[in-house]
Amino acid sequence: MVTLRQLCKTYARGQAMVSALRDVNLEVQYGEFCAFVGPSGCGKSTLLNLVAGLDIPTSGEIVLDGRSTTNLTSYEWTKIRRETIGIVFQAFHLVHGLTAEENVALPLMLRGDDGRGVSKRVDEMLERVGMTHRRQHRPAELSGGEQQRIAIARALVHRPRLLLADEPTGNIDSHQGAEIMTLIRDLATSGGQTVLLVTHSALAAKTGDYTWTMRDGRLVSRTPREADLVASW
Amino acid sequence: MPTFVKLVVLILLSHLRQWPLRTLLTIVGVSLGVSASVAVRTANVDVLRSFEQAVLTVAGPTTWEVSGDETGLDERIVTSVRTVSGVMSASPVIFQTAVRMNGNQPGQAIQVLGLDLLDEFHTRGFDVNQPETENQLLSMVDPQAVFLGGALATEWQVSVGDHVDLLIGTGRLRCRVAGILRGKSDRSSSWDRMVLMDIAAAQISFGMVGKVDRLDIVTEKNLSVEEVGARIRAALPPHVTVERPANRTSQVELMVDAFRLNLTVLSWVGLLVGMFLIYNTMAFAVAQRRREIGIYRAIGMSQSRIAFLFLMEAGLYGFLGGVVGSAAGMGLAQELITLLSRTISDLYVPVGIGGSGLLWTGHFGGIVIEGIMIGCVVSMIGAIGPSLDASRTTTVRALAPGDYEASQQVRVGSLAVMGSALLVVSGFLSWPGPIGEVPILGYAATLCLLAGLACLAPICVIGRRRRYVRQEDGVHDVMRGIAVEHASRNPGRNGVTVSAFMVGLAIMIGVLVMVRSFRHTVEVWVTDTVLSDLVVAPSMWLRGTEIGTVGRSLPASWLAVLASDPDVAAVDSYRDVRIEIKGRRVAVVSRDLRLHAQWSRYLVRSGDSSELLNRAAEIGGVLVSEVLANKLGVEEGSTLEVMTPSGARRFPIVAVFYDYSTDGGKLLMDRALYQSLWHDDLVTVFPVYLRDGTNLDDVRARMTTLLSASANGALPPLVISNVELRKEILEIFDRTFLLTYVLEAIAVVIAMLGIVNTLITSVLERRREFSTLRAIGGSPTQIRQLVLWEAAYLGAIGIVLGLIGGGLLSLLLIKVINRQSFGWTIQMVVPTASLIQALLLAVVATLVAGYFPARWAARQPVIDGLREE
Repeated sequence: MVTLRQLCKTYARGQAMVSALRDVNLEVQYGEFCAFVGPSGCGKSTLLNLVAGLDIPTSGEIVLDGRSTTNLTSYEWTKIRRETIGIVFQAFHLVHGLTAEENVALPLMLRGDDGRGVSKRVDEMLERVGMTHRRQHRPAELSGGEQQRIAIARALVHRPRLLLADEPTGNIDSHQGAEIMTLIRDLATSGGQTVLLVTHSALAAKTGDYTWTMRDGRLVSRTPREADLVASW
Repeated sequence: MPTFVKLVVLILLSHLRQWPLRTLLTIVGVSLGVSASVAVRTANVDVLRSFEQAVLTVAGPTTWEVSGDETGLDERIVTSVRTVSGVMSASPVIFQTAVRMNGNQPGQAIQVLGLDLLDEFHTRGFDVNQPETENQLLSMVDPQAVFLGGALATEWQVSVGDHVDLLIGTGRLRCRVAGILRGKSDRSSSWDRMVLMDIAAAQISFGMVGKVDRLDIVTEKNLSVEEVGARIRAALPPHVTVERPANRTSQVELMVDAFRLNLTVLSWVGLLVGMFLIYNTMAFAVAQRRREIGIYRAIGMSQSRIAFLFLMEAGLYGFLGGVVGSAAGMGLAQELITLLSRTISDLYVPVGIGGSGLLWTGHFGGIVIEGIMIGCVVSMIGAIGPSLDASRTTTVRALAPGDYEASQQVRVGSLAVMGSALLVVSGFLSWPGPIGEVPILGYAATLCLLAGLACLAPICVIGRRRRYVRQEDGVHDVMRGIAVEHASRNPGRNGVTVSAFMVGLAIMIGVLVMVRSFRHTVEVWVTDTVLSDLVVAPSMWLRGTEIGTVGRSLPASWLAVLASDPDVAAVDSYRDVRIEIKGRRVAVVSRDLRLHAQWSRYLVRSGDSSELLNRAAEIGGVLVSEVLANKLGVEEGSTLEVMTPSGARRFPIVAVFYDYSTDGGKLLMDRALYQSLWHDDLVTVFPVYLRDGTNLDDVRARMTTLLSASANGALPPLVISNVELRKEILEIFDRTFLLTYVLEAIAVVIAMLGIVNTLITSVLERRREFSTLRAIGGSPTQIRQLVLWEAAYLGAIGIVLGLIGGGLLSLLLIKVINRQSFGWTIQMVVPTASLIQALLLAVVATLVAGYFPARWAARQPVIDGLREE
């Protein structure tokens, strides 16, 4: 599903150049749940942003769903995000003026889906994240955990093949964090989504099929999932 | 420098660096408002100053001036005045206008002064450059010798001994330049643009033998000027005016007062809209820096210093806007002076174009300081609300996100109540009459109307919430929904933007409806009253008062010449001179009323025009214009006392008629009655009525040939057709209001800057939201649409309020302000096509204002927006 070849990303910070990613090579298969852990500034989020097409690599190649993204235009990336990718952010990034159900419906409406189909799918997603009763509430009226549930529903509403989750438990307490991780895992498994999860939390990382540890912009080690860890949370 | 001031400067500079584009927009907005205000004020002052300078320069040591009406004074009056005790000298003066006929500036009108040169060559404050070969004494009495102003000689590229051809009245005069005039001081002087000739030559040239325009009197220095003035008055007939030279300027000021006041008020609209812009900028600054305010408060800055900080920031914008605006205003003033001089010359009295040199001489600094003061005061007034808000915010609230707008929302309801109350007050204020002939309450009503609508703007911005998921909505609707939602979330700030746009638009629509209604009224009036097929007029007649009184008259003998044409059915003799009635300059129009009753009409307030005209001719009565009737408080059936050269006469008022040719008022009487009282045989124009089936062009060609022969080689008179005359009248009308459109355009541009400013604010605030939308599948086009929808939403509310405001404003302008300022009855019409154009312009303006922020928003890197906290 996701192949990264010699991926590099360098930022200019004042006069200095900072390497956020250095020669990253990676292969993630369809349906796999891959977690990335590492200290702040190690390049985890940069990696996710590049895969989502939100940022442009300095060099190297990203292959998504068998298609090289090297020469994609901005509009082609938009189409890929509409069809193939769902993103969950640490800070939820819900649109404040819209209700929960409208936020969930956004990806569908952005790609011009019909209203009736939209409402059916939104109902389904709200039910799956357990937020049907809060559908008319605005983000400001929801707790952090509830907002993240809505964000997850929004990320999956258009049935993407790839889910990118950037510190989804970073802004919520540990109890709600465990619930969120379980929810992501369940939904991704049932939907057949490939998941790339970036996290600081070792426990959250263990939700994945395997975990890559990153340091100084490099993938340094891969650890397979330990069985029944989720149950021990 | 005190520490706090240093701190303020430090903070202000950091803010300016932080938001350079918004700072620039705000300064541009303020500078536009300042420039309009400075330009109109400068032009207003300059035009009158140049008139005053001309009067006072030429007056020299004169303490009193004696003048009659436009027909001049009998020169024998000089003898009577000279015998008055305390009069040191009494000099006859001819003051007329001539038009240059050849050379590099043909058609230029110049003022000609006829003086007794033998007597006054060294007393008036001018010097003459003459080569030694020139005999000064001979050149003084040579009937063809003229002394030409230095500036004119340079412009015309002529020197002593050269000849210039001047059109004087209907005759041509070939003059020899006998000397070049210079003012005695180094500064530019009115003598520079004048032609001087001997009084005797002037009397012959201007057909004023035995007459003078005025007497300039110098009184004994050791006597009271007023006392001698009283003696002069006692010695002269009552219709003669005795006044101080400076009084002429005051009279002209009085005459053009209403016109200037309306122009000045209109120029303030830009400042008003600029004030909204400043409010908007500062409200955003306060909202944006609430955390910073909290920090300052936490480390010990007092509430008043917080307010001071924001006021200073606004003051700085005002200062910079004032500097730029003053410079731009002076540039604009150059253009306005030409326009204004032309309009005042068209409608009131001849004034030179920009003669005072106010702009670039010693007043430069004064104008800049005035502009800076206006900029600072307007900006600081605009910033009072946000500054107080900032100072009242408690530290905890300031540090809490989202609190500032919430506190503003609470006020939306009370603002709406206040707005409704202001609208009611505006209605009440429009009922009473003027105060001292100035529609002060009318202006107050306008202010209340605009303020009322501005207070209602925030509640209008809070849109009705729609649900998008349950409806059959596509992608555009969700973008619209988010846009409306966002706009609704900030009613305070967006309400101000809408208000600024509304004010600009309301004034544009209000003035448009007023001008169009006025034009329609004038058109109807012209169509109904100008019925003669041809009008024979002096060659420069269409140049208004600029060509002087003699230039606006024709010999009565032409009546017979015109009537002799076999295709002519009737010829009227129309005479129009200005006199004073109760201190007002009034046009006395005389014509053959019976003939007019038969062939044409006046739009009388009540009764039948023909019947009333015949009756006036029969009983020696007069008809007065609506404006004059209102100003003098007379009506049909009452009488009016007028001072004539034959003494005071009381005339019965037979009718009141609608007239839009002058705002000073008009008095109409039969020509025979006029001639018997004024002893004036001249004619201003001849309206000619042709027989049915006559070819108008043939008659016109015949008349032009016939009259050219009578004109003795001068420019042939104008023979204008009815259609051309109507067109010309409307052209003068349009020229008069050109200035209005310029000022309106400035206000609308400032309002557009307000929208750009708001949208930039909105885009800056929502970078994260836009990035989120991009991350979940939104395209750059959709982001652009989102911002454009927000612009369209704010624009739509502004347009609706602007339409309501414009409609009500047009009513106020037509029924209250115009009526109280000028006394005209204007029939209100709704110019649908022009209104649609104005609305389209507003829509385009909104979208243009929205386009650049929208484009910018769509181009922002997604990742940067997502990182923003």
